Amino acid sequence: MSAPIIKLTNLKKYFGRLEVLKGIDLEVQPREVVCVIGRSGSGKSTMLRCINFLEEPSEGTIEIHGLVIPAGGKGKEHQQLVHEARLVTGMVFQEFNLFPHMSILENVMEAPIIVKGMDHAKAKEIAEMNLARVGMLFKKDEYPLRISGGQKQRVAIARALAMEPKVMLFDEPTSALDPELIGEVLEVMKGLAKEGTTMLVVTHEMEFAREVADRIVVMNEGELIEQGKPEDILNHPQHEQTQALLDRYRTGKK
Amino acid sequence: MNLLPQKESAPKSHVELLYQAFQRKERIFRMNVGISWGVLLLILVFLFSGQEWTLAGIPFKTIKVDSEFIRANMVFIAGGIGETIKISILSIMLAIFLALMAALGRLSRFPPFYALSTFYVSLIRGTPLYLQIFFFFLALPQLGIILPGLWAGVLALGLNYGAYMSEVFRAGISSVGKGQREAAIALGMTNGQLMRRIVLPQALRFAIPPMGNDFIAMTKDSALVAATGFVHELMWRAVKVGRAQFHNLEALIMAAIFYWVMTLFLTAIQSRIEARLSKGDR
Ligand SMILES: Nc1ncnc2c1ncn2[C@@H]1O[C@H](COP(=O)(O)OP(=O)(O)OP(=O)(O)O)[C@@H](O)[C@H]1O
Ligand SMILES: [Mg+2]
Repeated sequence: MSAPIIKLTNLKKYFGRLEVLKGIDLEVQPREVVCVIGRSGSGKSTMLRCINFLEEPSEGTIEIHGLVIPAGGKGKEHQQLVHEARLVTGMVFQEFNLFPHMSILENVMEAPIIVKGMDHAKAKEIAEMNLARVGMLFKKDEYPLRISGGQKQRVAIARALAMEPKVMLFDEPTSALDPELIGEVLEVMKGLAKEGTTMLVVTHEMEFAREVADRIVVMNEGELIEQGKPEDILNHPQHEQTQALLDRYRTGKK
Repeated sequence: MNLLPQKESAPKSHVELLYQAFQRKERIFRMNVGISWGVLLLILVFLFSGQEWTLAGIPFKTIKVDSEFIRANMVFIAGGIGETIKISILSIMLAIFLALMAALGRLSRFPPFYALSTFYVSLIRGTPLYLQIFFFFLALPQLGIILPGLWAGVLALGLNYGAYMSEVFRAGISSVGKGQREAAIALGMTNGQLMRRIVLPQALRFAIPPMGNDFIAMTKDSALVAATGFVHELMWRAVKVGRAQFHNLEALIMAAIFYWVMTLFLTAIQSRIEARLSKGDR
């Protein structure tokens, strides 16, 4: 197997005295789609946010695309590593977080220009290409306030893609959407998976996980309790907490 | 005989009717307010019209102003409007810069910067504007620092308004949500880039309406600078000719009218800008 794109080793995170991640070990291979499921408060978001250092991990090591970053680093060198880690990860948030004062096109062009120093014409070309990829090119001159939630999320995906990351992190990308808008976002994500995009997706959409994931990992109280192929996890869960989680989905609750 | 019912123009829905009634009420209200304003204005003009009459044997008269004096000094007093606007614009620019710095300092985790910001705001808010103005005109020269009158005024007003406006900027910066910062950081932006490109543009938009209010207030507080005698703006001119010819009444009325018209004008511009901001692309 080739080198993993993400490798978490004994990742721990404390919020004050609360231990939220209790030593996570996880690898994501190139072109792999991994879905993370688990009940609310189990630490899914925290794990994802540690990977691009939106949260500073407390212990352990994070490897991304060959960068080895131990927890608790300080100083310029560490900052530089963190910066590089952010450049190779794209993140999509539950709440979209588009920049309201910029048009759709500007939202997508901003980071390539500001962060990578790309020239305007090239950034525009890349932005338009990625907006087309998520089916949002036709709204490129609109402002975020004027488009639907599903459209916002698609733009947010394009914005992350425009930085040409090695791995995409999704934190419940459809949880803030009205039910009728979920499908269009999942379609876009399926398309990315087909193109071979490496993705780590926190989701409550079991059907999506079954269809798209190469692997499902189950989190419970800050630990990975089980992982495997979707059909194994979803049809024959080994762990009773996984069973309980799936039962809760079946009865339509989170 | 035609058995088919003639299609009438589509009946207006209940909601539509209610909305129209509401709009009509609003229109009537605004119209009546306008008329009342006109009446109040007429009364004010009448009060200063110098009329004399007797009613049931009692003599009445309204205030008489010397129209000759007004005609003779109108241009001289109006000549101060430019200076008033100039000092206001320069001061507000300084104030915006200081307010921004103070707001960033207040949000900084770097102790000296935080301390400098809170110290400045506390000192300025803890002393009267009038005192601050005199400080720059009268106290500094004692130390051998003599600023040209205009700049002393700008410094005093700018420092003062900057301290008050810093709160507005701070609120503006805080109004930009955590999600915005996280999205920018995840894209690889540095703190400086995040501030310049994402937070400040949104904070400024938030701060524009209160900044407009402050500017309008500034045009009037700039009158305090007249007391020092070094800046020949509207108020200074009014006081000068009023005192010299003992026509303070006329002179001050003229200055008041100029200030008022200026305020009405600026308020109109401000509500335009606000309408634009609230309509479009937020
Ligand atoms: N910034 C923070 N400060 C303190 N506690 C936090 C913070 N962020 C998360 N937590 C706590 O950490 C735990 C895990 O939170 P996390 O958001 O990672 O869970 P999650 O699995 O993503 O849940 P959900 O499905 O609700 O999004 C929770 O108990 C939460 O209250
Ligand atoms: Mg979460």
